[in-house]
Amino acid sequence: MPYAGFNGPIPSVNLTMVAYPGSYHYRAGKRTAQRYTYSPYFPVLSYDTTQGAFFGGNFWDGRSTGYLLQSPDAEQAQHPPVDTQEMANPDTACIAYKLSVAKYRPLFEAIWGAGSLDIQFPADTADICKTPAGAAIFGGNATPIALSPDDRTKANDVFNHWGQSISFLEHSTDISPFTSKIDANLKGNYTYTADEAAGAALFRGKGNCNSCHLDGTTTTLTPGQTDTGTPANTTPLFTGFCYADLGLPLNPRDAFYYQTVPDGLGFTPNPYGFGYRDLGLGTFLRSGFGAAPNPNSEWVQFAPGSDGLMQTSTIRNVAMTPPQCPTTEAPGPYFQKEFFHNGYIKSLKQLVHFYNTRDVYPFNVTSGHCPEGTTEKVDCWPMPEVPGNMDMTIGNLLMTDEEENQVVAILQAATDGFTTPYPFSDTFTGQCLTGGSASTQGNETLIATPELPPCASAVCDVPPLPSPPIP
Amino acid sequence: MNKLTLKLSVTAMVGGLLCVSLAQMLSPTAKAQSVAIIQQPNLESAHDDAAILRWTTTTPRGSAEHFAVVQYGTNPNALTQTAKSHVRINSGHSDTIFRVRIDGLQPQTTYYYKVTSTGGDGTSDGVESDVNQFTTPPPGQRIMNYPQPK
Repeated sequence: MPYAGFNGPIPSVNLTMVAYPGSYHYRAGKRTAQRYTYSPYFPVLSYDTTQGAFFGGNFWDGRSTGYLLQSPDAEQAQHPPVDTQEMANPDTACIAYKLSVAKYRPLFEAIWGAGSLDIQFPADTADICKTPAGAAIFGGNATPIALSPDDRTKANDVFNHWGQSISFLEHSTDISPFTSKIDANLKGNYTYTADEAAGAALFRGKGNCNSCHLDGTTTTLTPGQTDTGTPANTTPLFTGFCYADLGLPLNPRDAFYYQTVPDGLGFTPNPYGFGYRDLGLGTFLRSGFGAAPNPNSEWVQFAPGSDGLMQTSTIRNVAMTPPQCPTTEAPGPYFQKEFFHNGYIKSLKQLVHFYNTRDVYPFNVTSGHCPEGTTEKVDCWPMPEVPGNMDMTIGNLLMTDEEENQVVAILQAATDGFTTPYPFSDTFTGQCLTGGSASTQGNETLIATPELPPCASAVCDVPPLPSPPIP
Repeated sequence: MNKLTLKLSVTAMVGGLLCVSLAQMLSPTAKAQSVAIIQQPNLESAHDDAAILRWTTTTPRGSAEHFAVVQYGTNPNALTQTAKSHVRINSGHSDTIFRVRIDGLQPQTTYYYKVTSTGGDGTSDGVESDVNQFTTPPPGQRIMNYPQPK
């Protein structure tokens, strides 16, 4: 929803089950909803041989590559409608069918051509499209609507054009407008507060955020210097489109771990329970469990070095909240968000503190088992879910508590709507939360991680094998 | 706007975006001609079975993706094991902190090591430390040489 910067819009979900419920009862996804503001700006996924790293794509694991449409964002839009745990359409042709009977069919045809939706759908199409994907009745068939070859081609074209239309919307100023305090500052129309200015300096200095969340500048000032230069980029996206394993702990709250038995339609989202490990980009490169097919066989070799890597999100709108709940941070009144791919972090203060102290307070425990006398997320960070490829740029940045707060201030300055109101941001009808502290926000909902079984063979025994092995 | 015009617009727009994006993510920073260690490697922290080493060099520039690499072992003349960690280079910084995590260590054991760094493609930065050493603590104890400031 716009009021959450197109992050998860329901505070209680963000606080607890992390993954959002799908349209079929009791099904839910496995990761947080990645913000799609500015996602049309992400390039097609590629492997840079000089850098030795992947860049681009959409989604935490990069599985929306943009290979086919040359737009990762357009392909990202195509995933949720046919994802078994989201909208669960059983056939991509259902999108064409639903467009063909929609009120706005003329609008689609005005753009993509008269007759573009003239497809001879069989009489059982509506019934098929009402049956959620993954249902045993389909027997694994991804195209249960019986279309002629010509109509299948047309339906595929409609599906692709529909994805591109969504991407055009996301590229518009309704979604990605560059109207934050940071944008105003880059234009010279806004002077940072003292905390924001300090945060901006930390962002590209001691905090080293700028090494991944590129801010368009490279200037590092020494004490007493004044930056009088022109920014290298006046519309920075605050991401290098790159991937990193930050070493986050497994979050046992994630609803995905509990979808272990067949639902009413005979579909089991996660047969492995807590044997599942989220290897992110690594699993995608292997075309592994729960990921889309990797379109480039030459990339498979890079899977072991990519295990645990997740896409570096833009910081833009990470702090966006409904106007009536003006912050993400306790004591508020605040709007509860969730951060990173598994929603383990519940406030921006915790997020910055994690970057700053992950390696200062490490404990060889899982979440919910921090030693007595410590406080999880304050002076105890449980072990990483995927340790082998952890990024060591962060983890002990030697920032003070005040400096952490200043970095939070500059993250908040990246919220659109400062120079021009952000469209449709006032539709939240729920309650703000109050009380507590940002450092321990959400800790009351922590649960003890059960004893973890070994990583399931369907995840960790797929060649090329993870190195070192995933516990 | 007819379909063809829209498609052409889309193609041009996407092409333009790619140019901007690629330029942004591949900042043209020439690799430094020489890299020097300006703070020698030492132990940042250690548990009975893991350690983090930390050192500072002049910024190598070149590829943003880098690896901090340590060769180590219990015999100073046979550093047979290797650990490496991802580190992102910030080309705007004059110096770069490298940190590497070593797992699978034995408690109360002295390890000898030397460090180096490479670009993301494995190309050496051409800098290597002398052989140094650290000792892991007993089970249940921790060493923290870089405590969190208040």
